Amino acid sequence: MDSSLLSLVFAASLAGFCALSLAMDRHSEDVYGRGSTPGPWRRWLQLGGAVLLCLSLGASLRAAGSAAGWVLWLGALTAAALSTVGLLSYAPRRFHWIAFAATAVALCSLLLSLLSPSSASVTP
Amino acid sequence: MKEGFRQSMAWLHTWSGLLVGWVLFMVFAAGTASYFKDEITFWMKPELHAAAARTEVPPVQAAEGAVAYLQQHGAGSPRWFINLPTERQPSTDVLYLATPGATTTSAASGDKPRRRFDRASLDPATGEALSAPRVTRGGEFFYRLHFDLHYMPALWARWIVGFCAMFMLVAIFSGIVTHKRIFKDFFTFRPKKGQRSWLDAHNVTAVLALPYHLMITYTGLVTLMFMYMPWSPQVAYKDRGGEQAFFSEVFPGGGRDQVKASGNRVPLAPIAPMMARASAHWNGAAVGRVTVHQPNDANAVVALTRAEGPQLSYDKPSMLFNGTTGALIGAYGDVPKPAAETRGVLYGLHIARFGDPLLRALFFLSGLAGCLMVATGLLLWAVKERQKFAKTLKQGGRIGFGLRLVDGLNLGAIAGLPVAMASFFWANRLLPVGMAERGEAEIRWFFIVWGAAAVLGLLRPTLRMWQAQLAAGALLFVLLPVLNALTGPAPLTVSLRAGPSAVAGFDLVVIALGLGLAGAVWIVERKRRKSMAAKPQAEKKPPSSPQQPSSTLAPSGQGS
Repeated sequence: MDSSLLSLVFAASLAGFCALSLAMDRHSEDVYGRGSTPGPWRRWLQLGGAVLLCLSLGASLRAAGSAAGWVLWLGALTAAALSTVGLLSYAPRRFHWIAFAATAVALCSLLLSLLSPSSASVTP
Repeated sequence: MKEGFRQSMAWLHTWSGLLVGWVLFMVFAAGTASYFKDEITFWMKPELHAAAARTEVPPVQAAEGAVAYLQQHGAGSPRWFINLPTERQPSTDVLYLATPGATTTSAASGDKPRRRFDRASLDPATGEALSAPRVTRGGEFFYRLHFDLHYMPALWARWIVGFCAMFMLVAIFSGIVTHKRIFKDFFTFRPKKGQRSWLDAHNVTAVLALPYHLMITYTGLVTLMFMYMPWSPQVAYKDRGGEQAFFSEVFPGGGRDQVKASGNRVPLAPIAPMMARASAHWNGAAVGRVTVHQPNDANAVVALTRAEGPQLSYDKPSMLFNGTTGALIGAYGDVPKPAAETRGVLYGLHIARFGDPLLRALFFLSGLAGCLMVATGLLLWAVKERQKFAKTLKQGGRIGFGLRLVDGLNLGAIAGLPVAMASFFWANRLLPVGMAERGEAEIRWFFIVWGAAAVLGLLRPTLRMWQAQLAAGALLFVLLPVLNALTGPAPLTVSLRAGPSAVAGFDLVVIALGLGLAGAVWIVERKRRKSMAAKPQAEKKPPSSPQQPSSTLAPSGQGS
């Protein structure tokens, strides 16, 4: 399977879940301290998270084909969500940096997979 | 009944989960291990590690080598099975029914109706038998344990496991209803908060891997559906030969049909053209298995089955050839009927043979989440139940029988199973290579250790005992790579650089599991210190009480 597509699958689902969790008051407090709310960012975080998860779905369908792609996506979602929970509980101070990094990796691999022609061919 | 729907579902969830929880934990753990059963088997045969670094051999060459070997050793056998090498299984494995004429050995065990197979692992490049590796059931043991259990007829075991799986399905659905805040608590895990943390851990491992849990439970029932619900084919095929007729119609070319020998000896046609034709027919996909019915007879039939590919469905197309002329008899399963394909996909999803290592690792991770879900659910029941005894305990009373029993079973199942699994691997490397019934002896060690852990757990369900068993599991797992380095040709330093990668992967995963168990030991230690500090206030506690492991659970924890 294409490695840039695969990193897109995992990075985008991790970034997506990080964004979705930051859109919730409880986890915003976990990360940015007591009393902080996402405020006007909430909608954008939710929208961005949803878009990233969709991106991850698209990438995994492309990477593994239309049948196994769904399996890969659900597996990646489970792994990413478990990682998000672990990060929120055990590394809340570094959480937003990791979220940014995951988003950056996702965008870079999106660019890479769009640019490189090899990703156009679906691995059977 | 004044209770609301949700309360009654909570009741159902509690009891459907608790009653079968210990069996489910074992089924989950063994099933999770089975995703890598080929790799586990390979690790357990260190004699093959050195040979594995060879280059790939075209399947035709491997098949011809195997046929030459079988002509030498099993020419009179009524049936040959040749499993061609794959990435995960680097040797050619041949299996042949013992020749009926020379049944001196099989006559000795003639009371069993089972037919005896001879088997050998061949070097795909030369067709020579590999230096016979040690006898072991390997990962196949976990795979069978997963639905056949052990020490009992497989049929009973499948009914038991099916019964438990049905309860599991009930527990999942009632759990979804009971869980009020699936999305609000989606990412919530609050460590160090007692019962709250256990509930969070249970919810997180259940909800985040919910697609997997639903899929695996439902498809698990589907794999054995013809056993659990045989009535519709029985009725529909009543006048046409019963279930057997149904099976050969649904799964044509499956090799279920018996081929009678004619008695005329005719040499077997060359296998290479048949394989080329089959491969071309399947758009270049390789042949995975060759079955020869009545080799060297005028009625010989060669059945070729496609290799496992990336397709979700477990049912693979096959082609039959006349074994004397090499003419095509027919191609089967190219376009399966929708119902058969549905079952094939559900079956395939359950066993995940289609996946590349990454996908199977994700299945493995979700399986671990399943183990943790069952384990935390069982512990949660004990934690909740213990609160009912809080007053009695303060006055120096005893906890009830039910709670004590659950405590003991929890300990034996959750902490004892990893110890037993690790002991199985240790027995594999430490038992003498040449001993009789070696495969069964390894399995006996698994059950001896597990039985001892369960008995100890039932006798003394204390935090100390939790610690001792978890620590034993952690040590045994973490030291497995050391054992491998001492007793095999591919220690981690070699396997990481030059392969075989399956051995390196095994070593790394057991280290990770051992560290997870060590984390659990640490959690229990913190809990024990806390309860020791609380002890002066309630002096007269009975010795077997303070097992309320209400601290956190490491995200990578006790499953195996």
